[in-house]
Amino acid sequence: MSFLAPLMLVGLVGLAIPVVIHLIGRRRATVVKFAALQFLFGSRRRTARRLQLRERALLVVRVLACVALAVAIAKPFTSCAARGPTVTRGPQAVVFVIDDSFTSGYRLGGQTLLARELDAATRILNQLGPEAEVAVVRASEGAANPTELSREQLRTRDALLDLTPTMRPADLRRALTRAAQLLAGSNHQRRTAYLLAPITATSLASGEAPWTSDGPALELIDVRAGASLPNLAVTELAVTPDGASGTRGLAVVAEIANFSTVAAGGVTLSVAIGDTVVARGQLDLAPGERKRKRFLITLPPEVRAAPITVSLPADALPVDDRRVAIARLGTELRVLVVDGDARTDRHDDEVFYLEAALRPGDRGEAGTTVTKVVPEDLDGVDLDAFDVVILANVAALPGPRVDPLAAWVRAGGGLLVAPGDRVDPAAYEATMLPLLPQSLRDPIDTAWGAAPDERAARALHLTKWEADHPIFAPFGKDDPGLADAAFTKVMLLGPTTATADRTVLARFTNGAAALVAATVGDGQVLLYTSTLDRDWNDLPMLPGYLPLVQESVRFLARRRAAVATASVLVGQGQSLATLELKKLEVRDPGGAVAVFEGARLDGRSTVRYPTTARPGVYRVVGTDRAGDTRERTELTFVANLDPRGSDLTPAPPALLPQAGTPGNGTGKVPRRRVELWHAVAAVLLGLLLVESILIQARR
Amino acid sequence: MRLDPALLARLGSLAIKARLIVDSALSGQHRARLHGSSVEFAEHKEYSPGDELRHIDWKALGKLDRYYVKQYEQESQLTAYLVLDGSGSMRFAGAGLAKVEYGGLALAALAYLISKQQDQVGLVAFGGADGLRHVPPRAKGSHLGDVLAVLEAVMTAPQGTTAGPAAALERVGELARRRRALVVLASDLFDPDDQTVGALKRLRAQRHDVVVLHVLAPEERTLPYEGLTLFEALEGDHKLLANPSAIRADYVARMDGFLAHTKDALAQAGVDYHLTPTDRPLDETLLAVVANRRGQRERR
Repeated sequence: MSFLAPLMLVGLVGLAIPVVIHLIGRRRATVVKFAALQFLFGSRRRTARRLQLRERALLVVRVLACVALAVAIAKPFTSCAARGPTVTRGPQAVVFVIDDSFTSGYRLGGQTLLARELDAATRILNQLGPEAEVAVVRASEGAANPTELSREQLRTRDALLDLTPTMRPADLRRALTRAAQLLAGSNHQRRTAYLLAPITATSLASGEAPWTSDGPALELIDVRAGASLPNLAVTELAVTPDGASGTRGLAVVAEIANFSTVAAGGVTLSVAIGDTVVARGQLDLAPGERKRKRFLITLPPEVRAAPITVSLPADALPVDDRRVAIARLGTELRVLVVDGDARTDRHDDEVFYLEAALRPGDRGEAGTTVTKVVPEDLDGVDLDAFDVVILANVAALPGPRVDPLAAWVRAGGGLLVAPGDRVDPAAYEATMLPLLPQSLRDPIDTAWGAAPDERAARALHLTKWEADHPIFAPFGKDDPGLADAAFTKVMLLGPTTATADRTVLARFTNGAAALVAATVGDGQVLLYTSTLDRDWNDLPMLPGYLPLVQESVRFLARRRAAVATASVLVGQGQSLATLELKKLEVRDPGGAVAVFEGARLDGRSTVRYPTTARPGVYRVVGTDRAGDTRERTELTFVANLDPRGSDLTPAPPALLPQAGTPGNGTGKVPRRRVELWHAVAAVLLGLLLVESILIQARR
Repeated sequence: MRLDPALLARLGSLAIKARLIVDSALSGQHRARLHGSSVEFAEHKEYSPGDELRHIDWKALGKLDRYYVKQYEQESQLTAYLVLDGSGSMRFAGAGLAKVEYGGLALAALAYLISKQQDQVGLVAFGGADGLRHVPPRAKGSHLGDVLAVLEAVMTAPQGTTAGPAAALERVGELARRRRALVVLASDLFDPDDQTVGALKRLRAQRHDVVVLHVLAPEERTLPYEGLTLFEALEGDHKLLANPSAIRADYVARMDGFLAHTKDALAQAGVDYHLTPTDRPLDETLLAVVANRRGQRERR
C-alpha cells in the first residue's frame, strides 16, 4: 500500500486524543470508597465487566477512527493486476464498441450479456471525465452508427441504456473499423476503443483486420468472463413435399447444432404446424456436432400453406432455439398424357394405370390434373399450360411436332418418355432424338420362345437404383415394391446422344438401363425403357408403381415449379410479386405493417420489402382492383436468424485485433491503481457510528 | 432531645460524648440498669396480691405454712466485653459518621453506663495500627478512661484492617472463660466467610449474653449514587467502575437478603440483634439496647 499524500500521516499523532479522552473520562467518574463492594461485584459483576469492556472498546474505536482519518487523508492506494480495462481520466477520444447482436441476449448468471456490456461501459464512461469525447458503435450487422465523437456524455449514457439486442449477428471487424475511423478523426493524443462483447470466432471471422499495430489502443472486455457459453440452436430448416406421405405429405428436415464443449443428450425437437405441435423427436449431440433430423408430417385438409416451426426447449439463448419455414403445397401439377395406344376399353388403355397413379382415387386433393390427348391432337395443345408431358407408347412424332416440344423442355418442361409396341426405334432415331437422353434400340423380349412356365424365371427385375435420387427416396434398398416387378420386355438404348447431363437411375438385372434422366436446357427428361401399362411388365400391379410415378412427375415438375425462396435471414429484404394488386400490406412478426400502394405498386411486377428486423412469419394482405382484401398466402415469407450468431465459441487469439492482444505483446501483465481512501472513509464512518452507539449505551 | 450523631461527633472528648449519650438516654428514666441474665436470690417477702405466683416459695409454705415470695437481685457485678470492629469496611462514612465512629460512640456510651453501675467493663478492639487491642474488664472508675482511650485510638486510626471480628470474639471467649458475661459487638458484619456469625453462636453456646449492633451507613442500604461511579474497596484493591442506576435494584435486593439472613441466623442463636444505621440518634440506640436487656430479664 502506498500513499498519494504521505505527509498527511502526521495526523496519526491524533491517536493521543482518544487516549486522553479515555483517561479524562475515567477521572471524571465519581470515586466512592465503598465498603459493601462484594454486593456490587456479586450483584452485577457481568454488568461491571461489560461496562469495563465497553470503555475499552470505546477507546479502541476512537483510536481506530483517528488512524482511519489520518490514513484516509493520506489517500492510500494499492495496485493489482489489471484484469479489467485500463481507464484514465482526462481529455481523450473513446469509442465503445458494443455487441448488440442477438448473441448478446444470452443470459449468463441471470443477466444478459448485453446488460453486462452496458454495465461495464457505463462504469468506464463514469471514469472518463467531462473532457473525453465519446461515441458508441453497435456491432450488430446493419446497425446505424455515429459519424463523429461527442462530448455529450449524458446522451451517450442514454444511448447505452437504450440499447437492446437486435436480431442480427455481430460483425466485430466492421464495427472496429468504424471505431478506428471515428478515433482517427479525433485530435486527442489518447485514443482508445473499448470492445465489449462475448468475443466469438464467428463475429471476427470475416473481413480484414480493422487496424494494424499502430492503430488506437484497444481494450477487450469479454463479458463472458471466462465462462463457457453452451448453446443449442436450430440452424437450418427445409420443408419439401413428400410423396410417400401422400399428396399433403411434407418432409421437414431440421439441422440442430450443439455449440458447446459438452454433449447434449435427449434433446427434444418439436415440429408445429402453425401453433399446433404435430411431431416430436429426440436426438443426442456430441460437443460441436451438427445433426439433421427428418420428420414426415401432413398438412391438414384445406390448408395449402402454413408456417412450420421447429423448436428446441429454451436455453440461455432462446431466440435461436426455433426456426420457421413456410410449407406451401405447390399449385396443382398439370400433366399432359399423350396416349399412344388409346383404347375404348379403359382397362386396356395404355395410360389406365398411369392415370390411376397420378390421381389415386380420382380425388380432387391429389394435387395433379391430368389431361389426356392422342398424338394427333398434340398440335392444338398449349404446352405452357402443363408442367409435365408424358409420351406413353407414342409412335415417333413428326419433326414439326417435336420442335415445339423440345423447345418447351429446354424452357423448363418435364418430359417422360415410355416405350411400347408402337414405338419404332428407327423412327425415333429420325425425329425424336432432341427429346431423348439416349437413342433407342430394338427391345428384347425375355419371354420370346419360352414356355409359359419359364417366362417368370426369365423375366428381368429392377436393381441398382439410385437410392439417393429424389425419385427413389420413398424406396429402401431392395424394396419389394420395385424389386419384385417382372419385366418381360424392355427397350434397349443406343449410344449416348449429345445430352451432356445424363444419369442412369436404375438398371435391370441384365445390366440394361431401366430409367435414364437427363437435363435438357432448363428442362428435365426421363426415359423409361418399359411400358407404363402391363404389356411389358407387371410393375403397375405392385405397390411401388404409384410412388414411382408420383415422384417421377414431381421430379420432372420441380425445375419448372421452382419459385423464389420464401425464407430469408433477418436483415435481408424480400421481393414480392405484386399480383396486379392495388395495395399490399406486409405485417412483420411484431405486428409492424409496411404498406405498398400507389406509385410504389403501380406498373411494377415486384416490390421489395426492404429489411426484415425480426425472425418469424411475415404475412401479406393484398387488396385487388375490385376492393377484395384478404391474406395472400402465396406471398407469405419467413425470416430466420443467421446461424452464425448462435456459435459462441471464443475467438482464438489469432483472430483478435493486433492492438488488442493482452499486454500489447509485451508479455507484461498491466497493473492498475486501486484507490483505497473510499474504503477507509467508509470504515471511519462505521467507527464513528459504533462510537455513538457505545456512548449511548454508557449513559 | 435526640442526639444527632454528626453533631455529637463534633463535641469534645469521647468521655464527654459517652456521658452525653447516657444522660440523654436516661433523662426521665426511673431506673435504667443494664442487666445481665445472671441473677440470684435476694430475700423473701410475704405474698401480697399482685405478686407473681411463680415466685412463691413452696418450700417455705411447707415449713412455715405462710406464703412467701422469692425476690431476686442481679448478680452483684456484671462483666461486659465491648468489641469494636475497626476493620477497613467500618471506615465507610457516607454522608454522616463513619461506621467505626458510630460504633465506637455507642460502645463508649455503654462503657460509661456499665462503669457507672459499678460493673466491670472490658474492651476488645481491632483495626488500629496495633492490631487487636484488649482492655481487661475492671469496675474501677479510672478504668473507664482506659477503655475510652483505646476506643478513641481505634476510631481515629487512619486505616483499618481486612480481618473480621471473628478473631476478637474468639479472644473474648477465651478471656471470659466460664464466667458469664455480656458481650456487645459493634460491627457491619461484612464477613464473606460468615465467621463472625459463627463466633457469635459459639459465645452464645458458652452461655454469654451477646448483643450485636449491626452498624450500617444509610448509603449502604440504598446505594443512592448517580452517574458513572468508580467504587473503590475499603478493604483490598478492588475497584469497580459502574453506573449505579443500572445495578441499584440488584444491589439492594442482595443487601436486604444479607440483612435478613444475618438477623435470622443471630435470632436463632439467641443473639440480641440491633440494626443500627449511622444516622440514628445514639441515645436511641443506647435505649434500645438497655430496653431490650431489661425486657429479656423480665421475661426470665
